[in-house]
Amino acid sequence: MDEKKKVILKLTHICQSYVIKDTVKDAVENVSFDVYDNEFLVLLGPGHCGKTVIMNMIAGLEKPVGGKIHLNGEEIKGSDSRIGMVFQSLNLMPWRTVMGNVEFGLEVAGISKEERHATAQKYIDLVGLTGFEKSYPHELSGGMKQRVGIARAYTNNPEILMMDEPFGQLDAQTRYAMEEEVLRIWEKEKRTIIFVTNNIEEAVFLADRIILLSNCPANVKEVYDLSDLPRPRNTTSPEFLRIRAEISDNTDLAL
Amino acid sequence: MSETIQKMTNEERVALVQKQHRRITYRNTILSISGILLFFIIWEALAIFEIVDPKKISDVLQIFKLFILKFTDPNPDGAVLLVHIWSSLEVALLGFLLAVVIGVPLGWLMGWYRGFDSFVRPLFEIIRPIPPVSWIPLTIVWMGIGLQAKAFIVFFAAFVPCLINSYTGIRQTKEVLKNVGKTFGASNFTIFRKVGIPSSLTMSFAGIKVAIGNAWATLVAAEMLAASSGLGYMILMGRSYGRVDLVILGIVVIGALGVLITALINRLEKVVLGWKEL
Amino acid sequence: MIKKDKTVNMSAAEIHEYRMNMLYKVLPIFSVLLLIALWLLASSGVSDFPSPAEVWERTVRLFTNPIKKLNLFSHVLVSLKRIGIALAFDWTFGIAFGVLIGWSPRAKAFFGPLFNAFRAVPPLAWIPLITLWFGIGEFPKILIVIFGSLASIVVNVQAGLSTVEKMYLDVGTVFNASPAQRLFKIAIPASLDAIFAGVRTSTSAAWMVVLAAEMLGANAGVGFLISRGMDSIDMPLVLTGMIAIGIVGAILAIITQFAERLICPWTRKRK
Repeated sequence: MDEKKKVILKLTHICQSYVIKDTVKDAVENVSFDVYDNEFLVLLGPGHCGKTVIMNMIAGLEKPVGGKIHLNGEEIKGSDSRIGMVFQSLNLMPWRTVMGNVEFGLEVAGISKEERHATAQKYIDLVGLTGFEKSYPHELSGGMKQRVGIARAYTNNPEILMMDEPFGQLDAQTRYAMEEEVLRIWEKEKRTIIFVTNNIEEAVFLADRIILLSNCPANVKEVYDLSDLPRPRNTTSPEFLRIRAEISDNTDLAL
Repeated sequence: MSETIQKMTNEERVALVQKQHRRITYRNTILSISGILLFFIIWEALAIFEIVDPKKISDVLQIFKLFILKFTDPNPDGAVLLVHIWSSLEVALLGFLLAVVIGVPLGWLMGWYRGFDSFVRPLFEIIRPIPPVSWIPLTIVWMGIGLQAKAFIVFFAAFVPCLINSYTGIRQTKEVLKNVGKTFGASNFTIFRKVGIPSSLTMSFAGIKVAIGNAWATLVAAEMLAASSGLGYMILMGRSYGRVDLVILGIVVIGALGVLITALINRLEKVVLGWKEL
Repeated sequence: MIKKDKTVNMSAAEIHEYRMNMLYKVLPIFSVLLLIALWLLASSGVSDFPSPAEVWERTVRLFTNPIKKLNLFSHVLVSLKRIGIALAFDWTFGIAFGVLIGWSPRAKAFFGPLFNAFRAVPPLAWIPLITLWFGIGEFPKILIVIFGSLASIVVNVQAGLSTVEKMYLDVGTVFNASPAQRLFKIAIPASLDAIFAGVRTSTSAAWMVVLAAEMLGANAGVGFLISRGMDSIDMPLVLTGMIAIGIVGAILAIITQFAERLICPWTRKRK
């Protein structure tokens, strides 16, 4: 029996649409869901259906056309340091070293150099990149670059960590490795994670709960609770495959 | 705010966004106009209130009057405005067209066929660092002062960017596209013609644009050093006779023509490269 | 001793490629020889065209019999000093101005049309006006060089700043960076490659303009050497000057390219 879990983030009737030339294109249509404290929540949906738009709205990069987002009870206005973001790709500043990238958020917040370094080092160690502090992004592999992104997002000590298809650009092997890495990091430094993907297997492997989104314009199709599935997840166990098939049947194909 | 947006219909939202765009365009236009206006006001003030020595500046109206006058008055430089303009254009276009016709295909050949590259490259690399302007004295000795000499110098200035850009452009042809040609059994020359050249057109055009700029600039220099007509010559004469208004008029006409030619080439580019999202 | 034939173990295709590669190595030498042959031909035909030997002799004489008390190196240095001062101004003012009109749409609207109008005028066309205003001293020459090379850096910096990857700026937003922080910590570093492109083009533009300015009225400098040669029908001097110009120009290009690779090791191609 689940005890009553604390709701840390609440989306109510979120809508987003864009004006393009002289038509209005709907991206997100009436999406509502709760996010519980310290859970690993996955937003799953076909490509280009509005998942990133939802992420952008939570992170404060866009303002929703309708609806409200509440963090710990108060409404969010713009970007909030309690919400961190790991982007999909190409977001590490190539002119900064690994250390420079990871401490960027602290630098912007005006933290002193020694403190910055110490905090950044802690998270560089957490993601397993000790020794690479002075390397430049172009010297790193795809998986390593994403780890830098994760470390950077952690430095602000956010309550919620958002990850927007962080492994989409990686090859299959690296992807599996990074999925396990993310879970390891999450176990070590527990935060609420909102993870976006279009890969069903990845979703079932990682999530406590999955929110399945429909095709464009996005709305919530179904919410799956996977807390019964034991961790570490066995991708060939009958329960895993059953859930995966169920979700797969329910998923819209991308346009 | 989000509630109000939600309550609008689609048409109202479109109208709102368009209104916002119009406001920004409006603001920008006002800023541009005020910038230009401020410039002219300062210019006029400097001239009229004689803050600057009147021998060194003319007010805007004077320039305009001279412009009209110059259409019929050959003083003091010896020719009417249109004669100068035509003289300059003649040389510029001749040198420029020659540069394009020779430089662009040569660049394509050099970029595609190693034999060409190995042969032409060393010659090119030796010639390249020498600025066109410094060829002028040599050219004068060779060919004297005249259309040929000027055109040769202009050709030189325009040749380099044409060649470099078409060379780089064709070298960047995507390997994938070349392979598509090969799988259809096309010969190297056919792939060169039907894949390499079209895909290099953007860069080649960019080179042509740089070339015309170079050509126009070098022309002015050539006319100042070795000519008896043309806009550069006219400016020089203005200087010799202490006629600031003539000098300024010359500068304005040269600049305006440069803008016109570039605009024409941009138009041409849109026609030829319409398939690209520019 | 019989020399081993390298081609013994190659297939037909490999042999063909081997031979073509040999050809490619030989061709450059061939073309340079052709150029030298043409030069010798030209100097024996056209009366005033100097032969390589004459040019070499003239170059050496420049050191023993300096013109206006300066030998070749000194003249080069005079020209370099002029562009040095002009470029110092260009880069400080030009980068600041380029950042301004690249980052702020308002500034671009206000200054843009004027800047483009001035840019359309070929640098050398300004010379008569500038000499009318300031005479023929050092300052007007440097001013002419500035007029001729400022546009290159402003245009490049502006292009760089207006095409900064949105995602980098988004990272700034997510971390609550202020607009100033976004400009100085993200936009400007992201545009470093464009800024360097501007440094390169403005350097070569400055070199070209200084020569023209010197040819039209100077007492020292490489451009002066050439016009002196022209005036005294001293063709070997003209060629000496041209070759010196070419070499220095090439060296400048190499230095700026090297500096770029040193300072921006991560440079990526900008579309």
